[in-house]
Formats: sequence, structure tokens, C-alpha cells
Amino acid sequence: MTRQLEPDDKIRSEQQTGIPVWDLFIRFFHWSLLALVCLAAFTGFLGEEWWLNYHIWAGYAIGLLVVMRLVWGFVGSPFARFSSFVFSKQQTLSFVRQLLKGRPPRHTGHNPAGALMVFALLLVLSGLVLSGLVLLGGQENQGPLAGLIPYFIGAAFGEFHEFLAALLLFMIGAHIAGVIVESRLGGENLVRAMLTGKKRFSLPGHETAYAKRKAALVAIAICGTIGLAGAGAWRSLATIHPGGLPKMPENVAWKSECGDCHYAYHPSLLPGKSWQMLMAGLASHFGEDASLDEKTRREISSWLQKHAAEHWDTEAANNLRHISAEQPLRITASPWWKRRHAEVGKAVFARKSIGSRGNCIACHRDADSGRFDDQKINIPEK
Amino acid sequence: MRKSLIPLALSGLAMTLTPALAGSGRTGILEQLQAEAGQAFSAERGKALFMARHKGGKPKTPSCTTCHSKSPLNAGRTRAGKRIAPMAVSKTSDRYSDPKKVAKWFRRNCRSVLGRECTPLEKGDFITFMMSR
Repeated sequence: MTRQLEPDDKIRSEQQTGIPVWDLFIRFFHWSLLALVCLAAFTGFLGEEWWLNYHIWAGYAIGLLVVMRLVWGFVGSPFARFSSFVFSKQQTLSFVRQLLKGRPPRHTGHNPAGALMVFALLLVLSGLVLSGLVLLGGQENQGPLAGLIPYFIGAAFGEFHEFLAALLLFMIGAHIAGVIVESRLGGENLVRAMLTGKKRFSLPGHETAYAKRKAALVAIAICGTIGLAGAGAWRSLATIHPGGLPKMPENVAWKSECGDCHYAYHPSLLPGKSWQMLMAGLASHFGEDASLDEKTRREISSWLQKHAAEHWDTEAANNLRHISAEQPLRITASPWWKRRHAEVGKAVFARKSIGSRGNCIACHRDADSGRFDDQKINIPEK
Repeated sequence: MRKSLIPLALSGLAMTLTPALAGSGRTGILEQLQAEAGQAFSAERGKALFMARHKGGKPKTPSCTTCHSKSPLNAGRTRAGKRIAPMAVSKTSDRYSDPKKVAKWFRRNCRSVLGRECTPLEKGDFITFMMSR
């Protein structure tokens, strides 16, 4: 499939040793990015909820890699620099026309189509990391933005995050197709080049070495400065208490009166109206006589309403505000609850250590706080 | 030195008094029920009440043993799945010592199982049975 070399291509062939093109950092960046994107995609698309930490750490690592790549794009070795693969519209169109004819012009580094893909990938990856941080802070009340981002913004960015993730998969497909096509047409094994760093062909004047030591030192200095600034910002952000998680004094009567018969549900799991109705009908409480003396009933009822779903900005509170029309008092009847537990089979709820749908704490180890973090889910085997 | 001994002494006193107080609470409850019932309590009748299948209550709770298990020495389980400490005083020492609690649970559970409130005699028999275990 190798195209015959033509004299006007002015291509120099160094079949024995090859010409250094991709420096060590570029190769490290490419392959570790591939591994991390695989991990993030797997945990994001297919993984269990409680694998969220792996997804988060993959995201942080991808963010770090992208920052380093951006810095390297300005100070790195010749073919790592963005300036070496910024092409004009005409150059790009002409490249594509030639490519369609099966004769793509040679480029030592990125060709115009590949360059476009590099910029697009860096943009989409940055978007994924940033939208992931907003999603994590808003929806999960975790990460550096937990204290700043309200739930509804986090949830909206969640949609965007999913869109970008799907787009990234599509782009990875196009990237691989591009590599295969160019390797076939150009006779240069691009996968091997990304492993060894060396290409067999290069245009004249491109017989460059990899990065100079000075470039590496400058890059380390810049990355270090960015890292220190980021760590400082992170630490001060971490001191902000998540707005949607008010500090709630525990009510003794609630804990004992409700908790004697069933798991004492966090007040944020139903809206105030539901709590009011529920506490007014204790004589027939889901078929059970749960009547209380009037003083205790009033105390618990007002405490529940004071800390009801409306007063929290957690994922559970935001969604459990929308109750079932038929069973407005039953948390496990709400549409969102049912959707989120659709994959949990009847047999799981019947396990001895769980017993019923209402025993939140059997699987959600942080149910007492009302947070219901994905990572705190631990479904007992028996 | 002396000052630090005072809380220690007080807590020691509290620890020795707690079971005694629980006992005195129970005695008070029984005396009150005795006055209302007007006849001697029987552990045998209490056992029969505890073990029997009743009619008139809710279909899902025909007997005390539905939730409390067949033996007062064993823990039970609420219909929502929570553990209930054993009913026998020998196993759960503070049983039947808080008048409010006793009134609450007899009211609720007699309605559920028997479909009516229990009489002072039934309550006294029940507690007497649980004290004998």
C-alpha cells in the first residue's frame, strides 16, 4: 500500500534510525491519556455508582495531563508546539482535497486534519473535566466546587458532561480512522511512531532533536506555579461548607419514636406537606397504629417540616420533593426513587440484612446525613 | 482531688440506682394496674394472651408472637424489619418501667392484635408473665 515516493515531495528517508519527532512527554501524554480516558469512559458509562471515585480520579488526572500538554504546546519540542501545527483554512482544505484523492501531502508532525483533531480533543477533554467538576460540586456536593455550585446547575452540567462524553467517543473513532488511513496512504506506521517517537520520513529542515533540557525546566516551572496556585485555590474552596447541607440538630423524639419500628428517615427525604399529612394520620400509618401523645406528635411534626426536602440542596432532597400522586407519603413510591432503584431486584431488598425497601441505611452507609453519596453505597451480599 | 471524686461518686450512685429505679417504675405501674383490675395477676393467663391467635385485630398481626417471636427470651422484628429487644425482663432489664412507653405500646399493639384496648387485668397478666421469664 505504500505510495511511491515522488521527487517533488523532497522527502528524506532514514529507514535505519528514523527522525525524532514525538518527544518523551508527548508519548507519555498520549498513552497515559488513552489509559485514563478508557478508565473514565468505563466507569462513567458502564460502572457501578460506587466506582465514582475511580471516575473522579481519572478526571483529575486527565485535567493535569491536559494542563501539562497546554504548557508543553508553548515551550516544548518543535513538533509539540502548537505553532508547528496551526494551519490556514486554505492549507487544511487543500490537504483534505488531496486526501480524498488518496494522495495526502506529507507532514513531519501533525498534518492539518490531525492538527484539527488535536485541538478539538484538547477542547473536549477540558470541557469534560470542567463540566465534571461542576457536576460533582452541584449534584454530588463533592469536590472543590461543592460549596459554590447549586444542585440545578450541577444537574444541567451533568447533561453537558454526558453529551461531551458521547462526542469524545465519536472523535476517538474518527481519530483512529484517521491514523489508519494516513498510515496506509503514507507508508508511515503512526502507531509505532507514537511509541518510538521516530518517523521514517521528514521534510527537509526538520531534522530536529527532542526537547532541550531548558524547555523541560521552563515547563516544570510553569506547571509547578500553576499547580501551587491550583492547590491554594483548592484548599480555600474546601473550607466552604456546601450550601445545600445545613447543620441539623438531631431530634431525640424523632430518633426513638420513628426509629423504634423502622429506619428513622432523614427529614430531607419528603417535602414539608407530606410530613405534615403523615404526622396527622399516625393512627393508620401504612396500615400500622403509630399514634403518639399530642405533645410528642407536634414536636416531631414541626421538626420534620422545619428540615424537610425544601430546605436542602442535596440530590435526594431535590428529587424526592417530587412525590407520587397516589402515595404522597411513601418515599419509596416517588418516581425518582423508583427509577434510581430500578436495577435493584426484589430479592436484594429481601436479603436478611436489608429486609425492606425502606431500610436505606442497609445499603447507603451515609443515609443518616441525608447525603446519599454514590461512593457510600454498599449492597450487602446476604 | 475531692472535687473530682464528687462526680465519680454521683455516677456510681446513679449506676446502682438505675436498675432499682426501673424496678420501682415497674412496681408503680403494676400497683396502678392492680388497683384498676381488682384481682390478682396470673403469669399463666399472661402467657395464654401472649401466645394466642386473636380475632378482631388486623389480619397481618393476629398474635403478639407475630412480631415478638414465639419466646419472650428472643428478639423480635417489626413489620418494617427493625429488631425488637426481647420482652422478658430477664433479657431486657428496663422493660415495663416507663409508664408513658407502657401505655403507648399497649394502646397501639392491643388495637392491632385484638382490635381493642387491653383491660388492666390483661396488661397486669402480661407484665407478670414477662417478669417470670
